[in-house]
Amino acid sequence: MQRKFGKLFVTALLASVTLAGCSPAPQKPSQSTPAAGGADAKKNDAGGGSKTDTSGGGANALAWDKTDDPSLKSQTLTALVVDNDGTITKMMKRFTEDTGIPLNVVAVDYNSLYTKITTAALSNSSDIDLVEMDTIWAGQFLSGNIVEDLTNVVPQDYQKQFTQSSLSSVMYGGKLAAMPYFSSTKHFYWNKDLLKKAGYDAPPKTWTEFREVSKKLTHDGVYASGWSWKQAEGLNCDFVGMVYSFGGQFFDQNKNFNANSPGAVKALQYMSDLINVDKTVDPASLQWTEDDVKNAFEAGKIAMMSNWEGMYPELNDPSKSKVVGKTDVGLLPGEGNVVSASVTGSEGISIMKTSKHKQAALAFLKWMSSAKFQKPNFTERGTYPVLQSLYNDADVKKADETNTIDKILAQFQYGQNRPNGPGYVEWADILSAKVFEAIAGHQAPQAALDEAQKKIEEAIKKAK
Amino acid sequence: MGKPSKAGIVSSLRLNPRGRKDLLLAVILLLPTVYILAKTFIYPIVQSLIWSFYKYNLMDGSDIEFVGLRNYTQMFGLHEFWISMRNTAFFTVFTVGFELLLGFFSALLLNQMFRGRLFFRAIIIVPWAMLTLVNGLMWNWIYQPGYGAMTVVLHKLHLLPAGSNPVWLSSSQGIMFFASIADIWKMTPYMTLLLLAGLQSLPASLYEAAVIDGAGFWKKIWHITVPQLMPAIIVAIVLRILGAFRVYDILTVFTGDPTTSVSYLTYNYAFRYFYLGRASAMAWISTIFILILIVIYIRMLKKNSELE
Repeated sequence: MQRKFGKLFVTALLASVTLAGCSPAPQKPSQSTPAAGGADAKKNDAGGGSKTDTSGGGANALAWDKTDDPSLKSQTLTALVVDNDGTITKMMKRFTEDTGIPLNVVAVDYNSLYTKITTAALSNSSDIDLVEMDTIWAGQFLSGNIVEDLTNVVPQDYQKQFTQSSLSSVMYGGKLAAMPYFSSTKHFYWNKDLLKKAGYDAPPKTWTEFREVSKKLTHDGVYASGWSWKQAEGLNCDFVGMVYSFGGQFFDQNKNFNANSPGAVKALQYMSDLINVDKTVDPASLQWTEDDVKNAFEAGKIAMMSNWEGMYPELNDPSKSKVVGKTDVGLLPGEGNVVSASVTGSEGISIMKTSKHKQAALAFLKWMSSAKFQKPNFTERGTYPVLQSLYNDADVKKADETNTIDKILAQFQYGQNRPNGPGYVEWADILSAKVFEAIAGHQAPQAALDEAQKKIEEAIKKAK
Repeated sequence: MGKPSKAGIVSSLRLNPRGRKDLLLAVILLLPTVYILAKTFIYPIVQSLIWSFYKYNLMDGSDIEFVGLRNYTQMFGLHEFWISMRNTAFFTVFTVGFELLLGFFSALLLNQMFRGRLFFRAIIIVPWAMLTLVNGLMWNWIYQPGYGAMTVVLHKLHLLPAGSNPVWLSSSQGIMFFASIADIWKMTPYMTLLLLAGLQSLPASLYEAAVIDGAGFWKKIWHITVPQLMPAIIVAIVLRILGAFRVYDILTVFTGDPTTSVSYLTYNYAFRYFYLGRASAMAWISTIFILILIVIYIRMLKKNSELE
């Protein structure tokens, strides 16, 4: 009996494998649509090109002036965004009130966002129409054919309304991968009390000064500074800002990736000296993310930090913070000719290539990037707008109770993007691993960056 | 079980009408399951094997091409791959060894009659029942420098000089060691339960005979418990080795360093860089390692049952 069933089983298995899919060999993602979407795939393939851009074809064409079409109200949009406390979902729901187009918001945390987007794209699922896109993914999302190229969809004069930094962070190679969503860079926060006690009325303006100040600030269990130097993207953010402030760059004249420019080595040497030689950095920094740094700063354990905006009003909330009214924010220090440099963390929202409601999705992007969303997003949530005009808006000024908006805006002028090419995620992993080796004191900065450069070159070569 | 002759098979296919009907019904009932299994289980395995011979990069828009064994040779030549193998091996040996040792003695203890035995048997499951990620986050707090529980306790016990404040997770050796401890804490109960089940089936008469022969505690353990418990021990060890070899989730809490385990590295290659070809090759290499372990396990089981 058993044997017989065995045979039957094998036969059935072979049959079902044949049924399950024609060939398990990989196919081009733009063509390989699962059996369910067969009709669509055929339509796109009819063009005949193996790598043609299917977005422009037929029913998919996006029209900027047709976003008010009443027929869009029958389509339900799904957006995937980072929302840790439910407030963004509430804000975005106003889109439905304004336009009548139903919107479904799926909230995730930042760390699972990337995987959620890529798995949705991999499985060709059309469940998600809109996704939040971090600046560093722009190249990958465009080359990987994950998101709709908006370059020719959004009119030039509309694009001109955005701040330069927010627009450049959603572009790769001159192409628009997403609509700007919010503006962000890292900023310099300091504890006025602790600085005053050490004899300083003003924060350091250069990294050389920072080092001197740090030595005086570090005593009695208080460290001069704390950083998000856990081996993760947060470390790359601090490193990139530091490299640009020491006059370094990540690309040479031929646009080749360059991790070990003299400026980069100087920057890493400086970071390593702070923590290993001067010992003015809280050693726990090697295990910290941005949130841990904020907690230490709120507890008064560190005197200075580099962190994203949105620290206020929490820093002035007595239930969470021990440094109420004792802190200030301003420009990150520079060095030499560089006044200041900071990494940008601005993000955008993209339309998924697989979406079946692209026109309605475009209507959402139009609404989201306008003052209808951008203004309340600042006045109610403290997130910085992407529209240049809002920075002079009376309501915005009024909502800025801590008077920080001008200081934050000043830093935006010195924002530097991370190299957001298609291979960024892999380069970033290599880079953070090697930078970590150096600041943990396992390797000399020059050697660490030379090795990072070699590995990144190898990775680029192997990917070809 | 005797082997059915060829005639037997043929005749069993030529069943009487009722038998044939039953068979048909059985096949029909099985088909949906077989289909789903084939589609979700067999097909991806076959697919990944085929992918491993292709250059298949999803995110850079490059072409797909057949590259033969290039993915395999690249992975064998990859420094990170061997580091991750070494780290995985360390993690597996270290955690399974300690879990076995601790699990064995906890099982012995819980096998004794004492007040509140049921209570302790119940609560020992708690760490195991916890989500790995939650466990990881908890230990991540314990390992925080400065205010983390471990530093505080060590300071209170004066095991750590007052001025020193080590960063426990600052090197990959440190991460491997401390992640192992978190895993041991979580998985020891699992070992305990498996061994406890084995212990309960041991006949008391053996121990009575041994006591009459004048055997002490250690002698009883060494000459009766361990040999009698061997089948359970082997099962427990193999299951844990298979589990430990695939370690991934707990490490992601402690570090962004993918060389801490083969699975972590494979995951990154597949779902962060989208080198599906190379990731498939890597997955198959580690699958072969695990297959070797399974073969050894089946052999050991067989030998054991032959001995009995």
